[in-house]
Amino acid sequence: MIDPITTIVLITLGGVLVGLGVHFIPVGGAPAAMAQATGVGTGTVQLAAGAGLTGLISAGFMYNELATSTGLTNSNMILVLASGAVGAMIMITVTMFIGQLIYVYGVGVPPVSAKVKKDPITGDVQDIYVSKGTEGHGIPTVSFVSGTIGGLLGGLGGSLIYIQLMNIGGDHTNSGIVALAGIFATGVFYVNSVIASYNIGGTIEGFHDPKFKRVPKAIVSCLIASLLCAIIAVPIMGGVA
Amino acid sequence: MTDPIIMDMGIVALAGALATIAGAAEDLESDVGSQSNPNSQVQLAAQMNFPHRIFNKAISGEPVSYGLFCAAGGTMASVLIAKEMSVIFAIAIGAFIAALVLGLFSLTAHLGRCASQKRFKQPIYMDMVTGHIPVIMGHGFIAVFCIVSFSYIMDHLMGHPFPLPLLALLWGITAGAIGSSTGDVHYGAEREFQQQEFGAGLNAAFSGNIVRKAESGLRNGMDNVWACAKFGGPLTGLALGLTVFLDNWRSTIFSGMDPVPGSINAIITGLIIVLILILANRLVEVKARKAYGPYKEETGGVAA
Repeated sequence: MIDPITTIVLITLGGVLVGLGVHFIPVGGAPAAMAQATGVGTGTVQLAAGAGLTGLISAGFMYNELATSTGLTNSNMILVLASGAVGAMIMITVTMFIGQLIYVYGVGVPPVSAKVKKDPITGDVQDIYVSKGTEGHGIPTVSFVSGTIGGLLGGLGGSLIYIQLMNIGGDHTNSGIVALAGIFATGVFYVNSVIASYNIGGTIEGFHDPKFKRVPKAIVSCLIASLLCAIIAVPIMGGVA
Repeated sequence: MTDPIIMDMGIVALAGALATIAGAAEDLESDVGSQSNPNSQVQLAAQMNFPHRIFNKAISGEPVSYGLFCAAGGTMASVLIAKEMSVIFAIAIGAFIAALVLGLFSLTAHLGRCASQKRFKQPIYMDMVTGHIPVIMGHGFIAVFCIVSFSYIMDHLMGHPFPLPLLALLWGITAGAIGSSTGDVHYGAEREFQQQEFGAGLNAAFSGNIVRKAESGLRNGMDNVWACAKFGGPLTGLALGLTVFLDNWRSTIFSGMDPVPGSINAIITGLIIVLILILANRLVEVKARKAYGPYKEETGGVAA
């Protein structure tokens, strides 16, 4: 028998992890697409969702491999979570790496952060590599590592939500339940990405960016929003089962 | 008898190849029609007194719009396959419907955006509408066809539990996210501002001052895609192809093992891939810093 309180708590936790993960992903929006800001040249929600949903696809695949008629054991649940996290990390690292190739070889600018004087990981000097009239460009190592952590948290959160929804649904061979769990997990993912995106305000370089200090506000907001989503999720998924 | 793993790896390679074509076509479609972040400059240009002949559409963020088109194509294909139509024809008809939706949105977005800029004297060129929209739809068709095709492969041949329309939706969102993050930078930071010296960085003061003259005549979306197809488009394809291939490869390679040790190996392999990419990124960073050097002296003076 599934305990609804535990399920609601875990779905909420998944939502909070997604919101937290979005803050780690270095995105520069339209300015970064013109190499005028550090980070990936797209919107916060877009990249986070792309990575998290790739993780969800990996987690869905692994869930079906490991699930039995009684659901998942705790150790198998960890494997599904890890698979989702790694799937999201692969997507985001590939995207950041190819993006980096375009900044370096297509635009001709070195990767650099405008928010710190030295890269906290490599110790490389940053400020003198920032071109005139820009807020940095490309994806320096600190942002790349931060983005990887963001992918990990996003994939973990998305997978946790999916697993809990599948546990309520009960039957992993029923494609209706799988589809509903997948689309609901996507929905919860988007809700939390958008909330985090408002908190970030368009651009963030990663965990070294001063904007990262706003994280506590996002966690509270994501907690409330995810809790509401989780409360709705239980009767909806239970209704299908 | 052929080892099943060879067949499985062939299927993964086919999915990766389809994803590579899809990624390239997706990015090139967004370059012809000027969607996503670089379109902010196309929109701004007329307001900065630079009227132009670049196609102007930004229906929504690329991930959301491609999620919609691929879900539409995937749903149509799914229905036709259920009615026992040939898989290739079903996916082609689904992609055609998605291309029609894309064409319709492109038309309304372009006319609406240009009409709203009347006070900035931005004309609506009807030859651009008739010339660009079929090209946008053509690229969109290829992208949606390939995305729905590899979603079908994952669903029916690899045994993924998600139904085809949901997989197409999720991969459409991912394809859009990758196209928006990689290839668009080549269009936005290089092709739109080719009058700036290569590697000088793009001063925010140049915003809106996009290149409006082509190699011959006035520049339009076709001229942009001609240039971006040489670098940004193929690299976007590589990014989506690598994502699809590596993510599936790491689980398929251990499919002969028991599920639990196989899953653990797949996770460890994934982490090794991530580590390699972090190191590769560092190598590119070091190489770029050495090759281009700083823009200023350490003391604060401007470098030559």
